[in-house]
Amino acid sequence: MLQIADKTFNSRLLLGSGKFASSQLMQQAVKVSNCQLVTLAIKRLELNKPQDDLLTPLRNLNIKLLPNTAGAKTAKEAIFAAELARDALQTSWLKLEIHPDPRYLMPDPVETLLAAERLVKMGFVVLPYCSADPVLCKRLEQAGCAAVMPLGAAIGSNQGLQTRAMLEIIIEQAQVPVIIDAGLGAPSHAAAAMELGAAAVLVNTAIASSADPVAMAGAFANAVRAGRAAYLAGLASAQPQAVASSPFTDFLTTL
Amino acid sequence: MHIRLNEQLLQLTSNCTVAELLQQQQLASEGLAVAINNTVISKRCWSEHKLQSNDNVQLFQIVTGG
Repeated sequence: MLQIADKTFNSRLLLGSGKFASSQLMQQAVKVSNCQLVTLAIKRLELNKPQDDLLTPLRNLNIKLLPNTAGAKTAKEAIFAAELARDALQTSWLKLEIHPDPRYLMPDPVETLLAAERLVKMGFVVLPYCSADPVLCKRLEQAGCAAVMPLGAAIGSNQGLQTRAMLEIIIEQAQVPVIIDAGLGAPSHAAAAMELGAAAVLVNTAIASSADPVAMAGAFANAVRAGRAAYLAGLASAQPQAVASSPFTDFLTTL
Repeated sequence: MHIRLNEQLLQLTSNCTVAELLQQQQLASEGLAVAINNTVISKRCWSEHKLQSNDNVQLFQIVTGG
């Protein structure tokens, strides 16, 4: 069971709801993946444009909704977005994300830590998207964040665990769940993250932008389960040379 | 009186409440958030909070995102 703050979850796969061709497709992917935490965003309403009822189907699936602060470039903007999201969804859970640079969408560590400290004091359950920096993750944990969400690679890049060595340190040191967010492009990346001991992974683009998002959601769910099981089973260590799996007896030397 | 609603000028006949404004605009409250002059107005205050002339009202909605 994954525990974040006072809530437990059976699934260790979190889904981002963006980039799907339709909200119906997103809902099907959520259903197939059996995930229990889904991220959402908040933006200014476009007047005179019909509102799509996004929330009722997700609520019917008994999903915990996790709004993010995407679009915020500073701590001040993120706090404003957080207050809006809390009121819109009536939840104090928040995926904090502050990325000022649209090209690489790298999280701003200074603004993220500042915002996290303030938001925790305001009563938010803060899950910050952050760089794979062990010191920063520790500082976010000390600030009272309920989890840390270091990146595997740039958002939407599908490059996998580019930050692997740092993630290992983060996981080794963490007292809160480490959720690998961003960059996971294939189920094998998700499995590898879970094998490292990550508490969970968050996937969006790799599912939403695949040829068959519903089938891919299922594939990721399987990979996350396999990776977690492997971590719990304890991986055999890598060796520099061959280690025989069959007995080397000399029964053939008489030929 | 006039207010600004998501950067559009809007004429109102009286000091209506936030809840009445949303009703006029035929907006459901689910997934919606309101800020007036850059301060978030909580849902539980929508039926009491009266709009003032020249208020800058911003409406936000929950959308899909990662």
